[in-house]
Formats: sequence, structure tokens, C-alpha cells
Amino acid sequence: MHSMKSHISTVASATKEWLQPDNLVLKKAIEQTVDEGLFSFEDIKFQIRTLKQNIESGQIEEWANRAGLSETKNSFGSKVLCLHAGNLPLVGFQDALGTILSGADYFGKLSRKDPYLLQSFLKKLNEFRLENNIQYSTDFNQSAGIKADKVLFAGAESSIDTVKEIAISQNSVAEDVEWVMRSAKFSMAYISDESKQTMEDLVEAVFRYGGRGCRSVAVVVSPIRFGRLKCHFQDYVESFWLKNPQLNKPKEILAHQFAYNKAIEREQAWMNDFLIQETEEFPELDFTLHWVEGNEDKVRELANKYGSALQTVYTTGGTIEGVTTEYLSRAQTPDLWWKPDGMDVI
Amino acid sequence: MNIFDPQISFNEKAISAFRSQFENNPVYQRFCKALGIQKVKDYSDIPLLPIQAFKEKQIITAENPSEIDFDKLIYFQSSGTSGMQKSTHYLLDTDMYKKSVIAGMKHFYELDDYVIWAYTPGYSANPHSSLVWMLNVLIDGDKSGLSRFLPLNEALLQSELDEVISSGKKLMLFGAAFGLLDLLEISEVQIPSDSIVMETGGMKTHRREMTKTQLHQKLSDGYALPKTQIHSEYGMSELLSQAYSLGDEWFECVPWMTVSIRNPENPMETVENGTEGMIGVIDLANINSCSFILTGDKGVMGDNGRFKVLGRWSPQNLRGCNFLIDQD
Repeated sequence: MHSMKSHISTVASATKEWLQPDNLVLKKAIEQTVDEGLFSFEDIKFQIRTLKQNIESGQIEEWANRAGLSETKNSFGSKVLCLHAGNLPLVGFQDALGTILSGADYFGKLSRKDPYLLQSFLKKLNEFRLENNIQYSTDFNQSAGIKADKVLFAGAESSIDTVKEIAISQNSVAEDVEWVMRSAKFSMAYISDESKQTMEDLVEAVFRYGGRGCRSVAVVVSPIRFGRLKCHFQDYVESFWLKNPQLNKPKEILAHQFAYNKAIEREQAWMNDFLIQETEEFPELDFTLHWVEGNEDKVRELANKYGSALQTVYTTGGTIEGVTTEYLSRAQTPDLWWKPDGMDVI
Repeated sequence: MNIFDPQISFNEKAISAFRSQFENNPVYQRFCKALGIQKVKDYSDIPLLPIQAFKEKQIITAENPSEIDFDKLIYFQSSGTSGMQKSTHYLLDTDMYKKSVIAGMKHFYELDDYVIWAYTPGYSANPHSSLVWMLNVLIDGDKSGLSRFLPLNEALLQSELDEVISSGKKLMLFGAAFGLLDLLEISEVQIPSDSIVMETGGMKTHRREMTKTQLHQKLSDGYALPKTQIHSEYGMSELLSQAYSLGDEWFECVPWMTVSIRNPENPMETVENGTEGMIGVIDLANINSCSFILTGDKGVMGDNGRFKVLGRWSPQNLRGCNFLIDQD
């Protein structure tokens, strides 16, 4: 019999130790990540601070409790292959932690875009000699022969067939394995006021990580026209960028989009590294925010239109009938147990 | 400038069109100015306007566009499901389209040798379809009186095929991808062995899923024609010229049109042959609207200016947690 209580406690201790300021392995991982230009120091610091707050407030234990993990309900003995994304620092942390916390054997295919940070966490867990097996690599071939029972896949839908083919051919998974896919791409916010707090929360929700990540806001619906608060909003953005310089720069396509907006006389604001435009089109490009004038009906309409590509709808506190909402202020600081694509990782 | 004049180089004609459209097309002028481009030396440097602009604005090149009564103009509209915003392409000069259609067909075929049958909705049912308009021009141009729109959902008749054969002409059967398959299902006759089946696209809106290769194989088998006689037309309501593929999947342009494959991350750049990208078109027949178009189609360039259409462009670098594993 596995002792789940002891397992949860060990995972929590290991995670806390990993997040200690004197953890030289984590420090080195941060330095390497910054030196190689993978993520900005400010974004890494923000992510680690968020995790630290969550973990120190007992969220690992709370997550296990919410998931009902116990001596009898756990995943000891099963094998999970996690194919992690690398678009944000430590974006794979929740999948890795959830898998390991459940008791399952974990094999992580780490992204080459975020190879050090998650690795430093997994190393720390291995130091604590957990009952479940933890293996990881940036090389997918290293998962050959593990025959996983389940796969958490954070890759693009267009690559799924190729990945499945490789995974099956090299026995990384069984043929009838369950694939848990992630399809959400962005979030939407409903903004009904222009107070300082709302503007600051919105800027954080939009511009953190250069706008990347499915929890980041790519569409704003507001009764306020963008043209009216353009200057006001730009001040908040500039203030955010002073403290959090954007590491990645947009491709030329953004200038092309700007020119197109000019051609069709669409309201927009060019902010060097970001484009805000008044349109309710699907937000396809990185470094763009779409502003839509509208009320709660428009939120419902767009939520329906964007479908599974939409991760979360945020408000500043109000509810919207027929739509599940979260607080805008928590867009980039979710609880450990938040559900990507509406699904609990554990 | 006569766009059909072979004595004038394509570059010269394209630059002349650019100057005219920069001066007299407000939408295109704003686009170019925002890109910081006002003069070009080579047609490959001319900015391509995203095709969606035809959904948002009236795209017209005229000295006094504000004096135009758009309600009186002939226009083409894209198909599309209900609720979808449609592209509208206004024509100041319908003769240009007629000339482009006829000269385009004559560039590839001995047009006078053919009877045109169109298995599409007729002109009266679809006056704003550029394809139907084009077919109408071709049908009207055939003095034999044998060319026509075929009634939908009715089988081909042997007696009518015999008439074509006895006229000494060959048959060119036009139809949308799946319309041609439907026609096969209801017809029990054999079309003449020297016929050409001209597939006009329309695969992207149909619920049946099939690759172009599979479709052409089915058409070849069904009509009992070699694949070299299954041809395709690449056109759209925003263009007044067409490209044709003559028995394989590679399209060729008429001389007053050119296609380039653009880098989706920087549409001012052309990608290397063999690399997938967005299809850009310069169609000089669009002299009164905009000749420089970035389509929403995905394609690849082969040798000798021939290109392949690979479907709709679907952006892959979408934000979110999704990242291609093989892009790592």
C-alpha cells in the first residue's frame, strides 16, 4: 500500500525546497534561461513568485484534497507521458506537478524552449526519492519503450498525427492510450470601467509574457470604445513595460497588419512591440490585442464563436449569465488547481 | 497601358499599374504609405493588399472615386455561408474581364475548337458570381450555339453529346469539384474521349473531404478520361484573371498575371521554391480595383513559375499553450 499522505507531504516539501532563494540549481537554471534569451528575467521572477505564493499557502495539499487523492484513489502504477509546451517559463509545471502528485510515473518531454527551469524542479523531486518514477528529456526519442497509459499533450492540433505516429512506433505509448489534448489558445476580458485597478489588471493580463499563453487576454469586450481610452491605456502599458521589458519582438507581419488596418481605416494603436486593434476577428497573430465594443451579449456571442480556442473569460468581479468567469486580477496568477481546457490535471 | 501587349514587359506593366493604383486607389494608397513604400523599381517589391480588404472596403481605382455611383456598378461577390461577410469586387469596366477571360482561355486552349458546358447555377440565378459570369462570357462567345449551362441535377444525354461530336468540336465540361462528381452519379453516358473536364475548385466549402489528387483520380476514372484531361481553374471573385492546371496539380498563370509565394511572417518577402507560404497574386486585369493581392490561400512554387494550391492558409503560430513539437 502506498502512503498517499506521506507522498503529498514529500512532494510539497521538495517543491518548497526547490523554491528557496538559496537553491543554486534553480538560480543557475534561471541564469541559463535568461542568458540564452529564452525568457526575460522579469517574467521568470513573476512566475516563480506566483508559484511560491501558491505553494507556501498550502495549495499542493489543497489540490490533492480537492482531487480526492487518497490511499485508495491515486495513480500509483500508471505511466503518464507529458509533452510540454515551452511558450511561457515553467508552463509545464502544473502538468508535471499534477502527474507526480497523483502518484503516476512521470515521463516529461521538456521543450527546448524551456529546458532548464522545469528540469531543476524535477531534479529536486528526484533528490527526495519519491515512490513514483520521474524521467525527463528534451529528446522525444528518450521516451521510447515506456508504453505510457496516458498522454498530456500541449502541442498544436496540426502536429498530433505525426506525434502519435512517432509515439506509437517507438512504443512511447500503447495504441489505445488516452490523449489529453489542449486546444485553448487565448482568453477574453469584459471591462466595464476604466479605474486604475482595472487598467493595471488588464495590462498585466494582456502584456505579461508578451501576450503569450492561453490565460493571457487577447480579446477585450467593453462598452467603452478603444479610441476613447487609447492614450490613457497606453500610459499604463508603458508603465508596465518600464518594469517588465518585452523580450520578444514581433515579426514583420505585425507592421503589415498595421498597414492593413490603416488601409481599411480600422481604429488601432501601434505600440512598437504590440498592436491593439478594434476588431472581433479571431486573434491569430502574436502580439495583438483585439478590442471589441460591446456589452455582455457580445461576450456571450464571442465566447460561442471562439469555442474551444477560448480558455477563460475574465471580469473585474461581476458575473455574466451563461458564461463561467474568473477574476481578471488572477489571470496570470491562477491557483495550482486551475483547469486548462476545463479539465483538472490530476 | 495595354496589359495584353506582349511587347511590353510584365515589370513595366506592373509598375505602371502600381503607380496608377497608388495614386487613385485610396485604400491601397493608405496601405502602401503605412508600409513606407511609395516607389518601386521591380514588381516583386510591390506590396500585396490582404484580400480581406474586399470585405471591408470598396476597392476601386479611379481618378474621382467619390463620384462613382456604386449602386450602378456590376460587382462580383464571394460565395460563403450565411452570416459570413462577403467580398465585393466592383467592376468599372466589364470589357476588361471579358477580354481577360477570352484571352486567358486562348492562351491555353484553341478555344474555338471547344463547346463549353457548365454544370453550375446559371447566370440569372447567380449574377454576382465571377465564375458564372466568366462561363457566361465563354458560352456567349461560342457561335455554334451548343455551349450552355447544364440544368442542375439532370443527367447528361447521349443525344446532346452526339450533337457536340457531329459539330466537329470538343467538349469542355466545367463544374465545381463535387458538382462534377454528382453529375457522374446521375449520368449513364460516356463523354467523348477528347473532352476536357475543368474543375473550378469549391472543395473548401464542401462537407465531403477529399484531396485534390483523390478528386482528380475519381474524375478521371468516372469520366473515363486520362488524368491529363482533368484540368483545374484557379480563380476568385477578387481576381479578373485565372490560372489553369492542365492535367496535373501545378497551375500556370496567364501572361498578365503572376503568382508568388509569400512568407507568412513577412508578406513582403518571397519564399524559396518548394517552401509553403501564402499565395500572392499580381493580376493586371484588376486595373480598376487592386492588382496586388495577398490571398488567404496556402501554396508552393515549383519550377517555371508554376504553383500548387494547398488549401486555405491556417496560421500555426497561434498564441496559447500550443506549440508544435517539431518546432521545438
